[in-house]
Amino acid sequence: MKKTDKIMGINPFKVPDNYFEDVNRKIISATAGTVNETNKLGLFIRLRPYLAIAASVAVLVLLSYTAVKIFLPAGETEFIPEISMQEFSESYLNDIDILTLEEITDPLFFSEEMPEVSKSEIIDYLLLENIDINEIYELL
Amino acid sequence: MSTPDQDKDLIQLLKKDVNKGFRLVVETYSSKLYWHIRRLVILHEDADDALQNTFINAWKNIRGFRNESSLYTWLYAIATNESLTLINKRKRNTTTSLEDIGSYLANSIEGSTWFDGDEAQTRLQNAILQLPEKQRIVFNLKYFDKMTYEDMSKVLKTSEGALKASYHHAVNKIEKYLEGD
Repeated sequence: MKKTDKIMGINPFKVPDNYFEDVNRKIISATAGTVNETNKLGLFIRLRPYLAIAASVAVLVLLSYTAVKIFLPAGETEFIPEISMQEFSESYLNDIDILTLEEITDPLFFSEEMPEVSKSEIIDYLLLENIDINEIYELL
Repeated sequence: MSTPDQDKDLIQLLKKDVNKGFRLVVETYSSKLYWHIRRLVILHEDADDALQNTFINAWKNIRGFRNESSLYTWLYAIATNESLTLINKRKRNTTTSLEDIGSYLANSIEGSTWFDGDEAQTRLQNAILQLPEKQRIVFNLKYFDKMTYEDMSKVLKTSEGALKASYHHAVNKIEKYLEGD
């Protein structure tokens, strides 16, 4: 940058007289006393989604409560037994046959046709899985 | 250029009394930021608008900033964004094409009341204005503001390597422009 070295440090731009004093005053008076409003607004904007969720939940609870009060005959709610979650799950599991539960959760239970697999296919598969041939014969 | 110690004191004051602290930030940085903006937007009226917007934005976000480290790079980043916003607005509002914005600004220099450069200074400014926008910012920050590449990478969110390469290209282009004049 040899050519520019001689003009370095010289600022060719000018500003009106007392510009910086004036602009500083303008900026300070434009911003003074506005920070709290800005931050209050910022806090509300940040909390708005949570407030919306809280309000929705409150409305749902209120509606459910009102529905129970309106649609159940007077005094009937008193007969709803009070039961803890542990008591409920224990009594529920006692009523269910464990085999039925296994059937329901077994994915093959839902398939109408069980695929037929030949002995040779099983042997091929087990060999692919590196199972010892003697072990395979023992199993089959 | 403000020192890190000066910045630390300003941040301490902002924590204690945000109004008093901000007043001192404005007094410390207004001229530095003005000249940075002015070299980018060229016209005094535009620089004045961009400077005020810079401080208004800084004020709006000052509470969010107070736990961060460098006030200096934070303010330069806001000022650079304000300048680019203003230049883009100028591009939209005039029939000037994106490539010709440098020539448009160069013409603005010649007609400006607030430009008092001699022939050599005008030539240098014209050479700088021929650079692509990003290279122009890098060149100005390095050459006039003496900003380190480390700080510049925080302002422009670009790697130091890319900034060094950008500055090198800018210098070559300016030298070629001046030699060809």
